[in-house]
Parts: sequence; structure tokens; C-alpha cells
Amino acid sequence: MVLSFFRAGDTGLDHVVTRSVAMVSDARHSFDLACTALLSGAQPKSIADDVRETDLRINANEQQLRGELAVHISVHGPNDIGEVIGLILLLKKIERVGDHAKNILDLAESGVSFANEPDIDELLEERRTVSGFFSEASTILAEHEGIPEGFRDRLDQMVDQIQARIDGYMTSDEPGHQVVPRAVYHRYLKRIVANLNSAVLAATEPVRVIDPTD
Amino acid sequence: MARPPGTADRQMPTGARAALVVALIYLFLVGVSSLEAGIKIMGADTQERLFSAVSNPIAGLCVGILGTVLVQSSSASTSVIVGLVASGALGVDQAVPMVMGANIGTTVTNTLVSLGHVRQSAEFKRAFAAATVHDFFNVLAVSILLPIELIFKPISGIAKWISELLVGSGGTEWKSPVKKWVKEPVGWLKDLWDQFGASGNVKGALMVATGLVIVLIALALVTKNMKALVAARIERSLNAILGKAGGLVALVVGMIVTIAVQSSSITTSILIPLSAAGVLTLRNAYPVTLGANVGTTITALLAALAASSPDSLTVALAHTTFNVIGILSLYALPFFREVPVIAATAMAEIAVRRRVLAVCYVVGLFIVAPLVGVAILR
Repeated sequence: MVLSFFRAGDTGLDHVVTRSVAMVSDARHSFDLACTALLSGAQPKSIADDVRETDLRINANEQQLRGELAVHISVHGPNDIGEVIGLILLLKKIERVGDHAKNILDLAESGVSFANEPDIDELLEERRTVSGFFSEASTILAEHEGIPEGFRDRLDQMVDQIQARIDGYMTSDEPGHQVVPRAVYHRYLKRIVANLNSAVLAATEPVRVIDPTD
Repeated sequence: MARPPGTADRQMPTGARAALVVALIYLFLVGVSSLEAGIKIMGADTQERLFSAVSNPIAGLCVGILGTVLVQSSSASTSVIVGLVASGALGVDQAVPMVMGANIGTTVTNTLVSLGHVRQSAEFKRAFAAATVHDFFNVLAVSILLPIELIFKPISGIAKWISELLVGSGGTEWKSPVKKWVKEPVGWLKDLWDQFGASGNVKGALMVATGLVIVLIALALVTKNMKALVAARIERSLNAILGKAGGLVALVVGMIVTIAVQSSSITTSILIPLSAAGVLTLRNAYPVTLGANVGTTITALLAALAASSPDSLTVALAHTTFNVIGILSLYALPFFREVPVIAATAMAEIAVRRRVLAVCYVVGLFIVAPLVGVAILR
């Protein structure tokens, strides 16, 4: 620790970005595991510890990195304030994604399983798409080259699609034990996609850019 | 993640900044040497009149506090003291209490920084406690070590012993290699004031004033540029100790960072917003400030390199010795270690209830008390 002064390494903000990419990977891991319990019939008990430990790790990282951002501002002054605000938002969004993955696990632990339901293929496809968004978000954060065209549109479309499903469940004549778990699951799914959308936006455009020369 | 354009563009290349720092340190040494030369030109009578006020050690302590509060830098004030000792105007016995005063005076900066959090009660409480723990430790160290020094002279004794080991005990002059390098520009300054027709005490005063200005400007620029050079390293070091490092590690980090930026005020002031935000606990911040106490003594040691008298090196070493002994005797012992923490916590509790008392504390400790001390004891 004492020698950290003399060692070369990432500067403060680069280090936070690198760690936030790792947090997105952790959140994806939690999400995939929790969905396995809900959609593939895996025993929730067998994965619960892993999901909860990952969630705790995400939360601890968020706290630590927020501290590091405070150190950055204290040492460097307000030059990087926009980027720091963006990173604080980003960390919060990733932490929320982790929370919703845990909520999906809670749903599975309460006895819900869609593994043998008739709409399972549709649900699995939806999960694959959302899981793919995690991967794309990680790449966007790591590569520092802005948001690829169409990415946010696809996320918005996914949110609309999930909301349409939730609306359908709300007005469905199916029995409650069929529609309520689906509505709850889709609510979590929607929040995950929306938070991923906000995370990449926070990272690339933390505050509304006002150009005085415009 | 897109990095904002412009921040990197504004930065000077590292090599150029490092060269600038070396040039500024040279300028700083020229300033110290000019100060010494100016005092020597003034003559014994004038020196006697000017410095008779600090013949009383408590008055010397108060002058050390006031001088440091005025320039907001113990590095600058102790370098000036070293220059005065080198000129023969001040003796080691007079200078040691002044150096101790500088240690107290330097804590004003982070205490002032903590007042910036006054609108938020919880933040202010944490910030004020983190700032005043430095004050209380340094006041406690002086309260215990100054009387012992006046009676038994352990600090100046150890410093003299080290000084003799380093430069020998032969006579009142030592052949500092740095002194040779700065001789020429000091000569130019003398010639400059000669050309304006200055002589005697006037010329001496002008040389002292020029030296002071050079020392203050050079030190401020060294600090600014060194901070820019090592900011990423400071950040990494602080992150390493954030909420998990023990006292010794934090102390060493505080010392290294302060040596790098040549300013304890920079180190201790960085801690205040972190403590206010609750990122750093009082017990994490406390040893960092003590490390800063030791680290800041490097500047006076540097200044002593430009001086011709072994006594100036003794005083610079006394500053280091005082801070090391202070840590060994007060921080290493669990009972004493807690005293500044308890006092700072209690003070912060009071300050957050009656904020005007926080201002009274700052004005009282750093301005009124030393002014009264000088007025009564001179």
C-alpha cells in the first residue's frame, strides 16, 4: 500500500471505468444465473449464494468506487466534474441492475418457475437478448468511443416491448398465478434494460452538453 | 467512456514540468541565500534590534505561529528561519521554538478549508474534527516537548549530533556544494541593488525582501507543479489507504505525498473534503496529517543546503527530529494517541452547535493568542 505512490498504473478515472466494466460483467452473471433458476428449472438454492455474493460484491464495489471518485475530485479539483458525475450515475445504475437480478432470484425462490410453460421459448429468447445488451454495454464502457448508432433505439424498443407484455398481463383473463409472476418478472426485466440504457448514457453524456458557441 | 477533450491538452509535458520544478527549486535556494546575505549586510546592531523579540522562547513560538499563518506555509516559514540562522541573526536555541510554532501555524490552512463546509452540519462536524485533530496533536506535542527542550535540549542535541555527523564540527562555516551554485545569482542581486544606490541596512533590507519574495513564489510554484506532476500518484496512494489502512501505512503515505508536493497544507487540505464526505474516517485521516508533519520538514532541509552555517542544518534537522519524536512519544502511545481525537471530536461537537465558536477558535488560536504572546513576552 505504501508503495502505491511509486507504482505506475491506471489514473483514477480510468481505474473506475475498468472496475465498472467488471461490475457490468458481475451484474450479467447474476442476471443469467437468476434467470436459469426461473426459466431453466435449476434449483434456486444451488445458485442463491452465488447471486447474493455477486450482488454484495457489486454493492461493495459501488461504495468503494464512489469513494475513489471523491478522492479524485479532492486531488484534481473540479476539472473532471462532468465525467465524475457520469461515473457516479453509472455506478448507481449498475448497482440497480444487480438488485433486479437478485429480485428475479427472489421470484424463483418463492416457487415461480416458467421452465415447463408453453411460452418458455419466447421467454428464453427475451433473456438472451437482454443478456446480450450487458455484453454490448460493457464494450461501450471499455472502448471509450461513444454509443454505437442504434444501440439505444434497440434498448428503447425492448423496453416498449416488455411494457406491452406487462400491459397485456394486467388486462389478461388468465388466472392470477399465471399472469402475476410474469408481470412481476417483466417489470424487473424492464428495469434492467432501462438501467442499462441509462448507464451507457450516463457514461457517454453525463450532463446535457451546452456549447456556448452554438 | 469518452474522456472530456481539453483537460489533457492543457497539461504541460511531464519532462518540461519536471525541468521547471528543478529550476524553481534552484530559484528557491537562491532566495534562501539572498535572505542570508541580506541579513549579513545589515550588521550586528540591526540584527540585535530585529530579533531581540524572539529571545524569549514562548515569544519565538508565537512568532513562528504568526509567520506561518501569514504565509500559509510552514515550508516557507521554516526555510526563512533556516536562512536567518545561517546569517547568524538567530541562534539554534531561538530558532527551535519558532520552528515548533511553524508546526502549529501550518495547521490553520486545513482548519480554514473545513470552515467551507459550515452550511452542512454533518459534513462540517466531520471536516472540522479532521482539521482540528492536526491542531490538537501539534499543540499537544509543543506543550510537552517545548518545556523538555528548554530544560534538557534533547531535540536540538539530537539534531546537532546528526548535523555534526553530516557536515562535521569544524568552525562556523561548512562548504555546502549548493552554496557555490547559488553564489552567482545572489551576487547579481547585490549588484542590482548597488546600481539603485542602496547600501548598508537599506541594501540588506532589500536583499531580505527580494529573498522572501523569491522563496514564497518559488515554493508556491514548486508545490503547484509538483502537485500536477504527482496528482495521479497521490490519488492512488489515498485510494490505497481509503478506509482500510492502519496508522503506520497512512502515516508513511502522508509523509511521501508531502515530500512530493513540498507542502503539508496540500496534503492535509485534500483530506478535509474526503472526511466531510465521510469517505475517510477521522482515525484514517489523523496519521496522514502526522506523516505530513514529517514530510514538510524536507523543505527546510533543502534550504539548509544553500546556507553556509552548520547551525542552519541543525535547525532544519531539529524540525524533523521534533516531529519524529512527537509521533514516537504521542502517537505510538495509545493513551496520548487518543487525546487529539477526543479533543477534536469534542471541539467539532461544540462547533457544529455554535458555529461562531469555530471562527473564534481559529482566530483565537492562530492570531489572537500568538499576538498577545508576542506583545507580552517580547
